[in-house]
Amino acid sequence: MTGYLLNRLLISGATFLVIITAVFFMIRAAPGGPFDGDRRLPPEVEANLLAAYDLDQPPGRQYLNYLGMLARGDLGPSFKQKDFTVNELIASGLPVSLGVGLTALLLAVLGGVGIGVQAGLSPGSFSDAALMGAANLGLALPSIVLAPLAVLVFAVWLGWLPAGGVGSPAHFILPPLALALPFVTAIARLTRGSVAETLLEPHVMTAHAKGLPHRRIVFRHILPIALLPVLSFLGPAAAALLTGSVVIEQVFELPGIGRYFVQAALNRDYTLVMGVVVVYAAFILMFNLLVDLCYARLDPRIRVAD
Amino acid sequence: MKTFALQHLLLLLLLNGLPAHARESDGDLILGNPGEPQTLDPHRYNLRLEETILTDLFLGLTAMDPEGRIIPGAAESWTVSEDGLTWTFRLRENLKWSDGEPLTAEDFVFSFRRLLDPATAASLAYFMYPIANARAVNAGELPPAALGVSAPDPRTLALELAEPYPHLPERLLYPTGFAVPGHVIDAHGDDWVKAEHWVSNGAYRLEAWRPQAYVALEANPHFHEPVAIPRVRYLPLANEQNAYNRYRAGEVHAIGGFPSSELDRVRRTMPEHLRISPLLSMIYLVFNTTRAPFDDVRVREALTLMVQPDILTEKIQRTGNYAARSFVPFLVEGYDAPVPAFHDQPLPDRMSRAKALLGEAGYGPDNPLEVTLRYFDEGDGKRSNLAIASFWRQIGVTTRLHHTELKVHFTDLRQGDFQVAQAGWIGENNPGHYLELLISDAGNVNYGRYRNQAYDTLMQAAGKQKELAERYRLMREAEALAMGEYPVVPLWSVAVKRLVSPDLKGWHENHRDVHAVRYLSW
Repeated sequence: MTGYLLNRLLISGATFLVIITAVFFMIRAAPGGPFDGDRRLPPEVEANLLAAYDLDQPPGRQYLNYLGMLARGDLGPSFKQKDFTVNELIASGLPVSLGVGLTALLLAVLGGVGIGVQAGLSPGSFSDAALMGAANLGLALPSIVLAPLAVLVFAVWLGWLPAGGVGSPAHFILPPLALALPFVTAIARLTRGSVAETLLEPHVMTAHAKGLPHRRIVFRHILPIALLPVLSFLGPAAAALLTGSVVIEQVFELPGIGRYFVQAALNRDYTLVMGVVVVYAAFILMFNLLVDLCYARLDPRIRVAD
Repeated sequence: MKTFALQHLLLLLLLNGLPAHARESDGDLILGNPGEPQTLDPHRYNLRLEETILTDLFLGLTAMDPEGRIIPGAAESWTVSEDGLTWTFRLRENLKWSDGEPLTAEDFVFSFRRLLDPATAASLAYFMYPIANARAVNAGELPPAALGVSAPDPRTLALELAEPYPHLPERLLYPTGFAVPGHVIDAHGDDWVKAEHWVSNGAYRLEAWRPQAYVALEANPHFHEPVAIPRVRYLPLANEQNAYNRYRAGEVHAIGGFPSSELDRVRRTMPEHLRISPLLSMIYLVFNTTRAPFDDVRVREALTLMVQPDILTEKIQRTGNYAARSFVPFLVEGYDAPVPAFHDQPLPDRMSRAKALLGEAGYGPDNPLEVTLRYFDEGDGKRSNLAIASFWRQIGVTTRLHHTELKVHFTDLRQGDFQVAQAGWIGENNPGHYLELLISDAGNVNYGRYRNQAYDTLMQAAGKQKELAERYRLMREAEALAMGEYPVVPLWSVAVKRLVSPDLKGWHENHRDVHAVRYLSW
């Protein structure tokens, strides 16, 4: 197990390095630089700016400097948000993104499992068809369509919830819902299938034959088995929910790191793009690592192969 | 069953919502700004949306009244020497920083030197190049102390210019002319802009700045006049649709723009909220005069003859923009811009002349002209460019539209990597600010690399005049000369479309679209 863990850690570390190296050079290869605008920049001023941000150095040198800073946990000054360091910006934005992402994850699991179990327990019934039909609607409506619609209905027409921004718990209702919906559907489908399958397992029939209460059968004999596929779906889903909030943060004007990401890329704010990539990459690699470890724990064949 | 309970809870959440969300506390003004400021250091600012906030936080030597007229700011009066080269500003009595420290002419001397010090890396430092030695100081050739700024006494500031510059009071409206608190910068360095260290001399001071969420300002108790609104919050609303939603949801008291497609609905349903006003600006097409086919003046003239700006603004956009007939916007005061004669010719005459010109240049049915028109603006710009392509189709020209995002667009324009492209300039209330875009040594903002020795000479001569009348006469001559060679096609001046709460008093339209909060009240 330790060997397996070490192996996965090494691979994750290497992936991390590849990601930041690629992004470091890709953002610099994009046309336009951080100090290009539509106004005139005299050559003297441009030279002053480039020197102030280390951009007058050759790219290889800049890269080494960046790695050195990263090793010290310093993501550097933001090129565009001149009054903040990237560390300050991420410290301010990450809690918002995590809050939205984790709430959405919770909603997705509760809603998805709830619907899936309900539908799966009586496959082919009316409630199955109705619930899964409703859930499939969630898959057909991507967040980018659903979110503006939700704003229009709940904020502009009904006035129940704020249209965007932060400031109260009410600001954190629509965004996670809009983000979670497609995942509710995915989890519901997964759960329904696996519950319906488990129903036919001999041990469940035996439990019924023994006259165990329905509730006990569901919770003790069906769910623990039926939810295994859901568990393995959670790793990628968690990563997708965190990064998926890029769209949601734009629509709801949330001050999370997803919003920085888009604006920084458009502004060619090299250090801020790098900082957000570092954070995203770290989270995604961490989730994947966790899932790998869970697999290994649940499925001995992986350890054996290692 | 538990699962049922959960589903019901979720359904309840979805269907009933929560009690109406708390509206922002009363008395506070919430304003939408079209984006996130990149800095609140007035010497490092770059964007109009920063200028908006900085105008509340600081008070320059000159200021603007609600209608956009120049009025005394930190200086109560000023005089110009006979030769137009020395400007002397008399500061108000008892000026104070927001921490109560006295503000003197020395603070302005410190600030102008800081702006032009190469170490500050101020991208708009050139705004103050009219000051003697400014360019050399900014290039690091002279020490900051060599700058033509001095403080003979604590209430007198003298600015020495290299050449007469009658528009100096206007130029001083920009944040590059604001004073920054040297005593705080000495203590905290670059961190002086953090809310906890913040000191400024405007009607407001910085209370808090949460990135991408808001910039909060509170009244400065040491400002020389009382203000009616104690606290302001600027929200970064970069997306017009979101801004419009949030305004309609009652979360913002004023926004700087909304989707053009909603204009009719707004006119119908909430006319008392709508504020349309012309902005000092020029949107134009620029021809790359160094490359075929537009190195040929006949081709430039032919294509210019076919463009009808009034069709664009009145039939295509219908968003209130103002069709242009000259390169200097009609809004510029005191300047009678020359209008090329073709504007008053009927279209059939223009079309036959355009066809003839293209024929002379070697283009016709056998050898049709194909051009690529580049643009960045997905709103009014896209529809207008489609219309321009159809204008040109009438004389057999095929136009390929090429869209890129703003950064790429202007990078390519500066490098001369285009044939014909959309460009824009938001400028000052003086013709020189637009016409200098066509001077051959204007650098890479003369995107089309237009070059005309006679034009340069006229502009140079105009720059040496201290009398406005003579200055403008020479510039008018220069503009007429340049427009006869068709380096650019003036299209329109932008109409700013705002939504402003009817409860807010003291809001007036002005050509710069700057609305200082100190003039507002409930």
